[in-house]
Amino acid sequence: MTNTESLENVAQELRRGVIVLAVLSQLSSEQYGYSLLKLLSDQGLEVDQGTLYPLLRRLETQGYLQSVWKLEEARPRRYYVISAEGKKVLPKLKKEWAGIVSMMEKMLS
Amino acid sequence: MNLINRYVAEVGKHLSFSSSRADIEKELKSTLEDMLEDRARKAGRSADEAMEIELLKEYGAPDKVAATYDPHPYLIGPRMFPFFTMILKMVIFGIMVGLSVVTGIQIISQMSVMGSEFVNIVGQGISGIISTSIAAFGYVVLAFAIIERIVPASEFKIDEKKEWDPASLMKEPGPDEARRGELIAEIIFTFLGLAILNLYPQVLGIGFFADEKWLYVPIFSAAFFTFIPWINFTFLAEILLDIFLLRTALWTRLTRVIKVVIEAASLAITVTIFRTPNIIGFTAESFTNMPIDPETAQTLTTIFTTMFPITLTVIMIIQGIELAKAVYRLFKIQYRTK
Repeated sequence: MTNTESLENVAQELRRGVIVLAVLSQLSSEQYGYSLLKLLSDQGLEVDQGTLYPLLRRLETQGYLQSVWKLEEARPRRYYVISAEGKKVLPKLKKEWAGIVSMMEKMLS
Repeated sequence: MNLINRYVAEVGKHLSFSSSRADIEKELKSTLEDMLEDRARKAGRSADEAMEIELLKEYGAPDKVAATYDPHPYLIGPRMFPFFTMILKMVIFGIMVGLSVVTGIQIISQMSVMGSEFVNIVGQGISGIISTSIAAFGYVVLAFAIIERIVPASEFKIDEKKEWDPASLMKEPGPDEARRGELIAEIIFTFLGLAILNLYPQVLGIGFFADEKWLYVPIFSAAFFTFIPWINFTFLAEILLDIFLLRTALWTRLTRVIKVVIEAASLAITVTIFRTPNIIGFTAESFTNMPIDPETAQTLTTIFTTMFPITLTVIMIIQGIELAKAVYRLFKIQYRTK
């Protein structure tokens, strides 16, 4: 493994930690998988499809998301939206994130 | 779109869990079609096969895509791993001790006629320990892999990070609480017992190395092996009951009744074996072609014919106690629920 690959792996690990929070924050309105992928990408967070789709399923199983199939342009799409349980958890995660950012800024300054 | 359909079907083949397969396939197809449409719009032309190939290549190999959905990417997960290592150590230790004793008996019994074969016997003993340990390792891994997939994670939270309370040391477990550690140990050892009885019955015997080959005298006669289907039946019933209890974590009146029936059946089988004549395969004649002197052959025969009824009596006493405990717990649960 080259140094660049190793660095990329570490950076990927760092990004992986924020995906749950990013996804929950963007699902206040309904999104299907690909539209969510583009929404995250437009804001600078590139997420691999192989990471996002299983994550959406896991968050739904855990009760933080709910989904529904809709037929649009003759194509069925599964729309995800944050659930009541997810809405309860999101502010706590945001607080946790703010704490992490503040702590790391102190450490890295 | 034909390639996308084939790709989705290929991913589906690699999805090991059938319950959500159709749903995953449907979502994957919809996503790929969206992506293709997006690419075609950006390229300013309609989608063609080359564009499909490029998209699918970027999306990844079907088996790798399917693997990302797999909730069990491991054979034995972290919740089971502590039990797995504990049981594995016990099994390997048991095999090493057991087979070392068998090798020791062979060396002692052949001492008078043994010359250069000593090295061969020790070598065969060590190779037996290694090969049996590898086979046992495989069976233990198989049994745990099955438990891993049968018992849902939500019902077995060993790795749950809850705060540990020292007061829990003083708390007695509930009378109807199924002890998971005991159940797992019982499943593994019963599973190994089944494997030995059905796949390696020669382990229940004693071997002698002579003329560059192994000669083998089974401990039990053919009469013993007529009981194997009955023993299998009770062992399988025990495993199924334990797996069920692992899932529910609680004894009920029905499971207590089943336990009593299994214990009674096991005791009945042991009593019948005890009453069956000529169950031991060892006789002075069995050793006729063996490289041991007649006196040692007689001593071995006496030891085994004396030890067998004693061992069976001990087993019957243990089974009797287990049956009494099962009956007592059944009546206790009935009394509590009245």
